[in-house]
Amino acid sequence: MTAATTEAGPAAVFPAYLHCLQEADEYAAIEVARGLLDAGVPAERVLLDLVAPAQAEVGERWARNEWSVAQEHAATHISERVVAAVAGYADPRPTRGRVVVACMDGEWHALPPRLVAEVLRLRGWQVTFLGASVPAAHLVSYLHRHDAHAVALACALPMRLPHAHRMIEACRRSDVPIVVGGRGFGPDGRWARRLGVAWAPDAPSAADLVADERSLRRTPAAQLSHLVDDEYAGLVRRRGELIDGALADVRDRMPASRDYTPAQLDSTVSDLGYILDFLAAALYVDDGTLFTDFVAWMAGILTSRGVPAAALPMTLGHYATVLRDHPRAARFLAQARATVTPAGAG
Amino acid sequence: MRGVDGESGAQLVTSTDVRDWDPGDGRISTPGIARAPGRPAAGPVGPALPALARDRAPSPVDWSEVVEHFREGLVVCDARGVVRHVSPVAERLLPEVVADAPLAAAGLPQLSAGGEFTHHGRRLRTRLVPLSGGRCCWYVEDVTESVTRADALLAERARSAFLAVVGEKLGNPLHPDRAAAAVVRLAVPTLAEVAVLVLAPRSGRARWWRATRADDEGHTVDSGVLAAVDLPAAIGEGLAGAEPHAVDWLVEQAAEAGWLPGLAAADVTARVVPLPGRDAPAGVLLVARRATRWYEPADVDLVRAFAARAGAALTTALLYRDQAEVADTLQASLLPVEPAEAAGVQWGTAYRPAQAGLRIGGDFYGSHRLADGGSVFFLGDVSGKGVEAAVFTGQLRQCLQALHRVESQPARLLKLLNDALLETTQAHGQGRFATIVLGVVRPHRDGGLTLTMAGGGHLPPLVLRGCGTVEPVPLSGMLIGVVPDPRIGEVTVRLAPGETCLLYSDGVTEARGGRRGDEQFGTDRLVTALTDCHRMPAPALAERVEQVTCDWLAHGDHDDIAVLVLRAAGPGTRAARHLHAVPETRETRP
Repeated sequence: MTAATTEAGPAAVFPAYLHCLQEADEYAAIEVARGLLDAGVPAERVLLDLVAPAQAEVGERWARNEWSVAQEHAATHISERVVAAVAGYADPRPTRGRVVVACMDGEWHALPPRLVAEVLRLRGWQVTFLGASVPAAHLVSYLHRHDAHAVALACALPMRLPHAHRMIEACRRSDVPIVVGGRGFGPDGRWARRLGVAWAPDAPSAADLVADERSLRRTPAAQLSHLVDDEYAGLVRRRGELIDGALADVRDRMPASRDYTPAQLDSTVSDLGYILDFLAAALYVDDGTLFTDFVAWMAGILTSRGVPAAALPMTLGHYATVLRDHPRAARFLAQARATVTPAGAG
Repeated sequence: MRGVDGESGAQLVTSTDVRDWDPGDGRISTPGIARAPGRPAAGPVGPALPALARDRAPSPVDWSEVVEHFREGLVVCDARGVVRHVSPVAERLLPEVVADAPLAAAGLPQLSAGGEFTHHGRRLRTRLVPLSGGRCCWYVEDVTESVTRADALLAERARSAFLAVVGEKLGNPLHPDRAAAAVVRLAVPTLAEVAVLVLAPRSGRARWWRATRADDEGHTVDSGVLAAVDLPAAIGEGLAGAEPHAVDWLVEQAAEAGWLPGLAAADVTARVVPLPGRDAPAGVLLVARRATRWYEPADVDLVRAFAARAGAALTTALLYRDQAEVADTLQASLLPVEPAEAAGVQWGTAYRPAQAGLRIGGDFYGSHRLADGGSVFFLGDVSGKGVEAAVFTGQLRQCLQALHRVESQPARLLKLLNDALLETTQAHGQGRFATIVLGVVRPHRDGGLTLTMAGGGHLPPLVLRGCGTVEPVPLSGMLIGVVPDPRIGEVTVRLAPGETCLLYSDGVTEARGGRRGDEQFGTDRLVTALTDCHRMPAPALAERVEQVTCDWLAHGDHDDIAVLVLRAAGPGTRAARHLHAVPETRETRP
């Protein structure tokens, strides 16, 4: 089967590969990738045209509630094994300096940075991949012990941006240039610019940027003067109290929620928390579209999991009322609410 | 970050920016005129600037005498531009100007341009005031001293700003190579156009870094190694702690060594300063720039102050690196070792110590292969946290390493371990104890596994069955290392192909998070998170437990977290063929 399909390249074997992920068949997936390599497809293309889009599809299927979290995790694990196999097959010899690649603290989407790490390795860098959710203290102590030419940091969720910024600052103090990537910095990297850090849209651009130290170091200053209004800090401080209030509001207005199982209650609490965390991140970079985009995405997730459509606007309305003394937060909430409120309701 | 790019704020403000400032003491009384001094003397004068009114009544005061004592000199011209009066001060400042001759004949084009100019080594500030009848008056003031003072103040301010940037950049502990590169980068362009740092030689070889000003906005940094015997004599002197003063000789040597690209040796001024270290200098800094910017005494002082900071940063970096190397080696010996590959078992692990920077803690796991094809495996948690706890886990793992060779029955092995620990802790007079699950796994022909486990007071393992349910294993027992003959539970579990057993430490279930950050994660949530995860590969399952725990913590403090997963890999696994080809590229895990 592999021999017949590899002739045409990554696109042709994509369905077969996705099927391997669905069946959690690690060895068949590796065989598909090796078939491409044997047919002469460059390792970088296998990583970027097969593994990366397949992983994006895995995320989509989870979002549509077609795959369970367990399936998503299993598929991700297999993708990681495939990446390792492809890297082992190419086995490049390092000729350039050391680059450290890591996920931001709290960030578990390790595959995209792993692909960046392998692309850098294929281009001759000596790469250290520190893995998922790397604590800032660990990264900094690593940088003290091993001189790095650059650090590449990944952030998939915009809600981690405030933590990402702290981590970026910690690397800065070690005088190591930083490049960041991942969806967490916005589709065009606009939030990376806000934080004053170099951004790359994909693995090849990240590799180009790492090779150009002067542009890595030539980053404009962060634009965070809006933080003086203390809305971000205030929101973070009041997080627990705000969730409690929102939960009480949900129970008042949606009687069915009073019969939630502990697991349903936990996921409601964490959803209420995510809303606040994304709102806090939007305040941090002063961009309401961050929050609006998240709310639109969450509306889709909740709908696919059978949560009533009115629940989200209701909670946004509740937060807007409680946070009326926070002008920026209230504005972001109102904008987001307008996008998810069905016409004629609200 | 601008300082790193060589544009330290020090360079951006120059004294010319303040020379036009009104000194604020009333000496410039007509700012409207003073600010527009560029009018030609004979030019038309607008109605907006009326001539000053005459005194209403003649005064007995001799005004010419008064005027002579003004700090400003006066040159009065008539409507045709012929000089009619020159005050003594103006005579001294502008000796070319003579009465009854046209002002233009004095040959002072700077004067007609107005403003400030240097004349006979003095800085003069002039302004033109129109008088009645088409006449006009030039006021000329010698501002040499105030300009010098302002320049000195600004230069001093620039030096402080530069040193502040240096302090900020070099104040953090850096990797030694980073620190060296930062030193030369910071020196350009404020101190030099080319800066070379030579570190004190180690075993006959000296490493060097050089920053060269490339263009207006950047510089290039390169580095290399030189044999100590090839170092220019001046550098050798500097490394011995002296500061060579024969500057021409120094430039020649540096140019000969090829250290000054883009600078012609004839046109260069250079300085060498030692970087103070702990006992001997940590290195030597050579700064060079075009002779048009000579190193004045104040500049040399600045280079020395910079060198002091750079020396401290390099010394700290080296000290830190040496200690980190020691700590690293010790840590590596205390980190849990990944389980040895075993037939029919897919292992998965996760480890997250409480102190992230330390990377070691009081949780431990591991496995040893037995001669009969089975494996001993264990996961546990010792009392205490941090380094002390990690050292104790090391002792415990070494005990097990030795003891499993004489006893492979889990309950008896655990008893032996208890005796060994009891002896050690009594000898050291400290009450250290541990909780542990210790088991032996044996593969079956059908791809299933049999696990015989002994419990030493640890959380009971969980089993993920093929139908998606999660069962706790009924395993009890007492702490290890406390009493001579503890009660030890034992249980045997059979895993069908694809089924999984999960061992975890209390850092998972006691993780505090939730709404207020004070609620324990608990076993129920763990079981919920694992339900329907039976098809997950063991490493993915271990990471899932780590992830749900950390998500629950939401950046809060936590205890050590350890997870060990065994999955019955099933029959006909192709592991042997493929896994050898798959290198473990994940070098370190937090």
